This record gives sequence, C-alpha cells and structure tokens, in this order.
Amino acid sequence: MKSITFLLFALILSFSACKEQAAEKNSCCSTKPAMAQKTSGGMPETSLYQLNQQWKNQNGEPVQLSDFKGSPVVMTMIFTHCEYACPMMVNDLKMVEDQFTEKHQNVKFVLISFDHERDTPDRLLEYAKTQQLGENWVLLHGHAGKVKELAMVLDISYEQLENGAFAHANKKFVLNAQGELVFSQEGLQTKAEPVLKALNKLL
Amino acid sequence: MLIAGENNNKMIRYLGSWILAGLILSGVGLSAQEDMSLIPAGSYTPFIKGITEEVEVEGFLLDKYAVTNADFLEFVKANPDWSPENVKSLFADSGYLTHWPVNYLNDKDLESNMEPVVNVSWFAANAYCKWKGKRLPTLHEWEYAALALPKNDSDSAALTRINSDWYSRKTAVHAKVGSTYENQYGVWDMYGLVWEWVDNFNTVISNEDSRNNEDAPQGLFCGSASLNASDASDYVAFIRFAYRGSLKANYTTRKMGFRCAKTIK
Repeated sequence: MKSITFLLFALILSFSACKEQAAEKNSCCSTKPAMAQKTSGGMPETSLYQLNQQWKNQNGEPVQLSDFKGSPVVMTMIFTHCEYACPMMVNDLKMVEDQFTEKHQNVKFVLISFDHERDTPDRLLEYAKTQQLGENWVLLHGHAGKVKELAMVLDISYEQLENGAFAHANKKFVLNAQGELVFSQEGLQTKAEPVLKALNKLL
Repeated sequence: MLIAGENNNKMIRYLGSWILAGLILSGVGLSAQEDMSLIPAGSYTPFIKGITEEVEVEGFLLDKYAVTNADFLEFVKANPDWSPENVKSLFADSGYLTHWPVNYLNDKDLESNMEPVVNVSWFAANAYCKWKGKRLPTLHEWEYAALALPKNDSDSAALTRINSDWYSRKTAVHAKVGSTYENQYGVWDMYGLVWEWVDNFNTVISNEDSRNNEDAPQGLFCGSASLNASDASDYVAFIRFAYRGSLKANYTTRKMGFRCAKTIK
C-alpha cells in the first residue's frame, strides 16, 4: 500500500512539474509554440470566445460568447433556484459594481445558468428584475452540453442533485476584451477590490 | 470423442442465450450495437459517499473497447479542427497526440494501431463520442460498469488484484485493447490498460451544498474527505478519484484514453 501511495504522489508531482515546465519553457511535453502566441480566427487560442456556442439571454435573444468581445467581462455561473450561495455571489458582484466609475461603463456582468431545465429566458428575466440587475448584466440560458463545456473551460465543478439543485464551485472570473481569463476568485462574500483591480488593469 | 447429444444441448443453450440477448437488445431497439455492451440498470455505492449513499444507475450501452489510435485517426481525418496542428489550446494542451508520428495522415501503422488512443483531452474525447452519435459515460456509469468481475471469476478480490498490479507497474506499457480482461458485461480493459475520461470527471463530490468554499478535489488530497470513503481500504479507488480531481478538461496525458457510452432509447 505504501508503494501505491508513493506512486500517487509521484504521479501528481510529475504531472505538476510537467505543467510548470511547460509554462516556463514549453520543453517537456511538445515542440509546439507556446500557447499565448497562438491565435485562431483573430482571437487568442486560449480565449473563451473560441467556444462556438449559441445561448439565449434573458430577453430570449440568441447570444454567442464572442458577442462580448471588445470589453472586459465579469463572469460567473449560477442557477436561480439557488437559495444560498448564488444570491451571495450576485451580491458580491453588485458590490463590485457599486464601486464602478465612468471608465467602467462598458464592463459587462455575464451570469450563465447551470439549470438548463428551469432557467428559461423568462425565468432569468424575472430573476434579473428581482435582483435589480442593470442593463449591463446578461443572464444566459443554454442546453446541458454547452453548460458542461463552459464549466469545463472555467474549471467549475458541479453536479445536479436529486432535488434539482446544483452543487457547484463558487468562482468569479474577469475576462479581457479578447475573452481570455485574466483573473479568478473563489468563494463567497469575497472582497470587491481584487476584481476591481483586475478590471482596472484592462481599462 | 464428444457425445453428440451433449454437444447439441450445449449448442441449444448457447444459441438460446444469444437469442435471448438478441430479444433484449432488439426490445430496446439496439440490435445493431455489436461494438457496445448492454450494462443493465442497478445501483452501487460510490467510493466517496456524498449526495446519496447508493447511486442508481440506469441501463446504458458502453463501448466494449477503449477508442484506439486507428479509430481516432479516422475522427481526425473527418474533423480537421481536431488535428494536432489545428486544435486550439483552450481545448487541448500541448501534449495532444504527441505520440503520433509527424506524418500521421499517411502512417500505415497508425491506421491499424489497436492500442488505446492517449494524449487526448476531455474536449477531444467528448467531440469524438458526439461524432459517433454517442457520449462519454458519466462517472457513476463508468464506476458501476467497472465493478463487474472478470468473466468466469467469482473472486471478489480479482479487481483489486488487477488494479494493484497495474498501479504498481513502473512504466506505461501500451498494450492493445482487449488484452487485459473481459468483464461480466463483455466489456474489456476497464482496469489495467489506460485511465479513462468520464463526462463529469470534475464532479463535486462533497455533500456540503455549495457553501463549502473548499474544492472537493482538494478535500480529497488533504485527506479530510477520505473520512467519507465508503471503503477505507479501497486505495485504488481513492487514487482514481483523486487523479480525476487533478485533471482539467484540456489536459492530455499519455496514460489517459476514453471509451464512449450511449443512452438506451
């Protein structure tokens, strides 16, 4: 059993070592050029906007993530029947917005729902009203497969529970104008400053 | 010399079981799924007790073999977006298909290579299964199907033995699919060949709703969540779950392949 435990750690260590090295010199795993230099379709390869997915916003209009290209985005994933964590997440984001000045006018808040069954555009609109979310807030509804792909890209683990609710990681992200992840924050009742700082770097 | 009557009896039993299997399969409208096995509905207790103790798994179809290099080459030829040159780093890291020769498009050996494809990301595996009209198995489906003992083996420790031998091996030997063992559902190599992607590999395993800020995979590593383990002696399952928690969807490793599943309609 000891040898197995050792192997596990060896495995993890070699794995993380490989990743670090790859970031540094990109020498261990391949001869491909470094990620950041590569672009595709006029966008960085690591851009979230490479996800070619159709969503619907709270007004029932079709939306692609790449529609947000050009201005910074604060993004998170929620579901509206969530009683505890999600309202807190939204509240955290409102606290960020409270400190916005003129220069932040183009920043969008994008909330994507885990709940492809219940969070229809109508329901999302209702939620936006209840939560008093402004016009710079976009709530997105999409099919299960898209939700899964996006959650994978964002590295948000989640699972639908038997009662229809979702257990999920609480993460907030800042995307630059090209759709690349430049900042992430984990947890609830988080401070607004780090998010603002990340945004300000982009403005 | 064989006694004819006995032989006939065997033959009848043999045919009978196939006819029965055929009836079951055609009953669910899937008579032509020769490359997949029917995994009957049931329940199992996952390694980590979380949301529910016993998990119900509906009947589904699972590929008998992991996807091979030859299979995946066909996919890449039909879907150039997934070639090593074109794949975007959002969907696969720089290790993607690095074990393939540079001139893979004209490689005769690769065309007939029956080793499981590795160095593929979750996104690539997901896209392959979609292309085949299938999907990746869920974590519960995979674990449930993998619990089946080897064919003609009633020793409940058989799987632990296969796993321990496998994990203790120092080098990755890439054997062909169908070279380790066949389980009671007719599915090959669930253990002993490669690790396999599942649809929801990064599932939250904690039962703490979403209030817990700590990520489930980290909980696994620090050992706290192992208190939840349904069988504390099951180190091999621990490793499998912990390993899944360390993955991201664009990671590729030379030990990780996949197979596809299908919902019974």
